[in-house]
Amino acid sequence: MKLSTDTLKNMIRAIKMTRPDEIGCDDCFDQLSEFAELKLAGKSPEKAMPLVQDHLNRCGDCREEFEALLEALKELKVGI
Amino acid sequence: MNKGIKINILDLIANMALFIYVFMINWFKRRKQEAKSYRTNEEWVESLSNPPDEDAVDDLRRYLIRGLKPALYKYVDRELDQFVEDVAQDALLKILDKIDTFRGESKFVSWAMKIAVREGLSELRRKKWQDISIGDLAGSDPEEEGSEINSEVFAIDDPGPDDTTHEKMMLKKVMGIIEEELSEKQKKAIMLLMVQGMPVTVVAEQMGVTRNALYKLVHDARLNLKKKMGAQGIDPEKMLKQL
Repeated sequence: MKLSTDTLKNMIRAIKMTRPDEIGCDDCFDQLSEFAELKLAGKSPEKAMPLVQDHLNRCGDCREEFEALLEALKELKVGI
Repeated sequence: MNKGIKINILDLIANMALFIYVFMINWFKRRKQEAKSYRTNEEWVESLSNPPDEDAVDDLRRYLIRGLKPALYKYVDRELDQFVEDVAQDALLKILDKIDTFRGESKFVSWAMKIAVREGLSELRRKKWQDISIGDLAGSDPEEEGSEINSEVFAIDDPGPDDTTHEKMMLKKVMGIIEEELSEKQKKAIMLLMVQGMPVTVVAEQMGVTRNALYKLVHDARLNLKKKMGAQGIDPEKMLKQL
């Protein structure tokens, strides 16, 4: 199995963007509902909670869950 | 005449008694309803803590189902209603189980909803990847023997005649660093996540670690590679431009 150029680029990009203070999926999940509420209230959670935003940029599973949570909370009119 | 007045007074008293009775019943009903509106986090936690109030559980289930539908519909091909009800039920058990970890940093419903959303998406990821095991992926190349993932995975495209060019040399160097610096477990995780594009949830379950531990494993690998690349004078930015 060989790496495609795109995969290689993604890997190098991921290495380049790596920082020592990244948070993991658990810490992100702990703060996710608060982050989502701030987002729906039109505030800027990425400024107040930059490490959560950073994790969401990196982790596909957490990002998918965040987007789905936003849809759910919009329906329930939470945070608006 | 006196008899007539007497009957009327009795009627009046009976009516008043009936009125008071109906009023009291309604008052109790209203009070019960008000108590069950669960407007505050404290009310939710109190009614769902041991032993959980059945009406509160039903209310929460309804909330979860209502939120899960728009959250998951694009991932579910058919029988969305049934799927969402199953997810809500599984999520409810988890929510009740960990209710004492709710710290009130968001609304209770948002907190519960994120547990349900994760439950639903994890189940969908499992279903999507259920027929593909790590062993299958590793052994997918008929040229490769056995199911162990080895450094061959990190070979580069076309290491052909022009592999003396600067960028090819750089790539070879990077591959060398990956080979030397990463553990077999880290290589395996990176291969499955970044090359195969498998979700973290699925890889973690198949590797028998938590999702958080898997993220940390890969983070440590990235951090290590970044340091080693820096030490060898390899600039990732330059490499990206050259690729």
